Amino acid sequence: MTAPATVVPAVTSPVTAGTAVRTQGLTKRFRSGQVAVDGIDLLVPRGAVYGFLGPNGSGKTTTIRMILGLVRPTSGQAWLLDSPNPADVLPRVGALVEGPGFHPYLTGRANLARLDAADQTSDARTADRRASEALERVGLLAAEGKPYRQYSLGMKQRLGLAAALLRRRDLLVLDEPTNGLDPQGTREVRLLIRELAQAGTTVLVSSHLLGEIEQVCTHIGIMSRGRLLLQGPRDVIDSRGVARVAVTVAPGHVATAAGVLRVLGLDVSIEELTLGAELGTLAPARIPEALVHAGVDVTGFEVRRPSLEQVFVELTGEGFDVAR
Amino acid sequence: MSLAEAPAQSTAAAYWRLQRSELRLVLGRRRNLVLLLGLAAVPLLLGLVLFFTQDTALDGQGPAFLGRVTGNGLFLVVASVFLCLPFLLPLTIGIASGDAIAGEASAGTLRYLLTVPVGRTRLLLVKAVGALAFAAAAVASIAVVGLIAGAALFGVHDVTLLSGDTVSLGAGALRVLAVVVYVGLSLTGLVAVGLFFSTLTEVPVGAMAATVVVAIVSGVLDTIPALSAIHPALLTHHWLDFAEFLRIEPDWGVIGGGLAVQAAWVAIFGALAWSRFTTADVTS
Amino acid sequence: MSNLSPRARWAVPAVVGVVVAAAFVAPPLVASASSDDLPTLTPQQLVTAVADAKDQPLSGTVVYTARLGLPSLPLGDMAGASPVNLLDGSSTMRVWTDGVDRSRASLLGATSEYSVVRDGSQAWTYSSTDDAVVHYALPAKDQARYDALAQDPTVEGDLPTPAAAATSVLGLVEQFSTVSLDAQSTVAGRDAYNLVVTPKSTTTLVGHVVISVDAKTSTPLRVQVWDRDSTAPALEVGFTDVRFATPSASVLSFSAPAGASTKDVTVPLPAATDRPAAGIPEGTTVTGTGWDTVVQASGVDVAGLLAGDTDALASVPGSQPAIGSKSGQKLLDEFGADGSGKVRDLDLGTLFDTITTKVPEGRLIETRLASVLVTDDGRVLVGAVPGATLQADAR
Repeated sequence: MTAPATVVPAVTSPVTAGTAVRTQGLTKRFRSGQVAVDGIDLLVPRGAVYGFLGPNGSGKTTTIRMILGLVRPTSGQAWLLDSPNPADVLPRVGALVEGPGFHPYLTGRANLARLDAADQTSDARTADRRASEALERVGLLAAEGKPYRQYSLGMKQRLGLAAALLRRRDLLVLDEPTNGLDPQGTREVRLLIRELAQAGTTVLVSSHLLGEIEQVCTHIGIMSRGRLLLQGPRDVIDSRGVARVAVTVAPGHVATAAGVLRVLGLDVSIEELTLGAELGTLAPARIPEALVHAGVDVTGFEVRRPSLEQVFVELTGEGFDVAR
Repeated sequence: MSLAEAPAQSTAAAYWRLQRSELRLVLGRRRNLVLLLGLAAVPLLLGLVLFFTQDTALDGQGPAFLGRVTGNGLFLVVASVFLCLPFLLPLTIGIASGDAIAGEASAGTLRYLLTVPVGRTRLLLVKAVGALAFAAAAVASIAVVGLIAGAALFGVHDVTLLSGDTVSLGAGALRVLAVVVYVGLSLTGLVAVGLFFSTLTEVPVGAMAATVVVAIVSGVLDTIPALSAIHPALLTHHWLDFAEFLRIEPDWGVIGGGLAVQAAWVAIFGALAWSRFTTADVTS
Repeated sequence: MSNLSPRARWAVPAVVGVVVAAAFVAPPLVASASSDDLPTLTPQQLVTAVADAKDQPLSGTVVYTARLGLPSLPLGDMAGASPVNLLDGSSTMRVWTDGVDRSRASLLGATSEYSVVRDGSQAWTYSSTDDAVVHYALPAKDQARYDALAQDPTVEGDLPTPAAAATSVLGLVEQFSTVSLDAQSTVAGRDAYNLVVTPKSTTTLVGHVVISVDAKTSTPLRVQVWDRDSTAPALEVGFTDVRFATPSASVLSFSAPAGASTKDVTVPLPAATDRPAAGIPEGTTVTGTGWDTVVQASGVDVAGLLAGDTDALASVPGSQPAIGSKSGQKLLDEFGADGSGKVRDLDLGTLFDTITTKVPEGRLIETRLASVLVTDDGRVLVGAVPGATLQADAR
């Protein structure tokens, strides 16, 4: 998977004080002895779209379960919307955890009604209207009367999103929201995330498929084998990797071009008509300028930033998605 | 940018909103309705069989109370409850209570209820009330159909007690009602046991089966004389004490003792279910 | 939800368990705590007090338990060896009496009842299992004499009660036993003296008998019969709860329910003179005295009994209504089959072979309290003595 050189502009949103999610030394050791999460310090600023990335089985879901109070940490602590007690703030949090879960024999709308009835702080009088809005938002209004078991995988996922959107939230925790969705559905989810973020909602979105969500993220955290390898704002992560330049020239110009690049201080490798080099601190624009000045017939020029996946491979020495 | 809405309802109103939702879920589910219909069929079939075999060689044969049904339709209620008590009612209870938590876990709805959030204690209470309501519905469906079928097939008359004494129809009907209520309350201990099993697993069928097995094993242990010391504490030992209401002077000590044993099972297994459920990691 | 640690949460059911156990175990302990603050009596004073005590109006629950040590039986539970169950097991009765001539006793099955109601000169038995009434009444000519005499009931002794058991034991006190007093105790929630009756004879199987006597009314509350070397009474009949008050009139009267099968039995009132001494019926002979008494009956249709023919019971001389009448048999059936009403698929012959042992004289049953010898020539010998004594008597 190779990301294009041009970076999709990250969503900008007002970052207010405080954190949406913060953990300190969060650890979960299951009774089997397996350490699923190993002392991670997660930091999701308010207003961020935090891409929580890592291969299947890296501990993302267990971390999310601890943040939401479903699983008790073995040690460490988590704060949700600055509260140490998730129950106090969960009404302000919409969650989609490890796939949708609904009663198969109830309709989509009845399932939403049940979840809303469970919410002590929701207003029963507006329940119908809010359910309709949520269903419409995920494009499920037409299928609201069908039993859940007749839904396709994608519709089930959408209903899960609708449940998370039953009321206005300060934070959305979306665990693998694109699972089971076709490319069109995936794109819609990306749009939805962007839209919600623009409205001021913090989004913590996890995925084992980097390319699907990295485009919308303002922040990235990467997990592997229970540890948080890397986290921070998107642009900081991007600049970590070393950009490479690739120049393609007309036949007969290779030697000249190589000379020019060496003069610029680059370590050139040649492959037929293409010359490649790590960019280093050199401003990319100086390369074509120098080549043209030297009379080289440049037929192609490209600066490649490393994809997140390449960053990940650099960090761990292994591929990202084990299951792919 | 806090979006928290002010609580739109009192705690009690919020509780009942979820409780109503739970009752609709339990009593509206097709599988559960089929169970209720199955139980309701028992008095109907029993009444019809007795109706067509009366005055034949088979008349008056069979378990207790059966012989009295043809003389008084009210006894169809008692006979049906008596027939359902050893297996059909425990099976129904097992399905309803074993499914309570484990069913939500296996459907994946438990994690969503808990992140709504619903407090675990509150959810357990809602689930317990739901299972108890279903148990009550099960007993009531037998009783109501038994009463209607009995009255239609055999008529209702003054009631002859086990002691041979006769009480008026009104007093007799009240005693039969007491039998039904006692049987319903007798099932509460099993509901608590089922609820506890339900918190242990994500496989509802496992919890259901374990609950039914408990009732059956309890019944078996109750027949082993060597274990007579523990018999009074057994879950099923006092189930047949509903007969007390059909004796000339019901012994309230016996009735209270039977209910106290149920209360003890409810207290212990309710507490176990609470401890388990409020400390368990929800990984389903 | 409060922030209790998991450990604290798991302590909750433990505490609940302890509280529940305490709630169930403590009251009986408190109730049976002995109290030694009753006035001191000599054993003889107590015997006299019991003999002189007026019959009290009361109602209560009586539990009868037999641990006779019969060989374990090759029976499924459903087979319902009913008479055997009564011999080795526990039965519960409710009793009501006005202390004069009206009473009711009900033997309780799980979902059934066998009642004996006595109302003056009339008596009824009712079995709920087969909805059958037997009505005992005096012939018209005896009624006037009854009214004058307020004679003993016609079907007394149907069901064992502490009073009846105590009376038969106390009959043996003076000549054949020594009496002493044990520590006071609480029986059925009432303070009681404990009279210990020990046979002088060393050849009887009976070790001693403990009669618990209500301190206030001198009514026997419990009788325990112990064999010579055991830790639990072989036979026990006693109140588990008792109230000394006149029962309501409805309990002490009876009218046959509609639809029940009814049988009328007329029982002539025996003249006071021809009541057999010590209740020994005709057709039997008695050897030995006191605790060593052996009753020998002849002409018993053993084969018929074993075939389950209840009418054969009629061939047993002096058989009591509770055992001998059809209604009594029905009761036993019901107890065995736990309400299902019929003795099914039970090969009594096999059972008989199992619980008896072959001896040269016939077949012998030895229990902790009594032995029964059925000889090959149709005699039955019964006594509270070892089997060898019966064998010697049978020769």
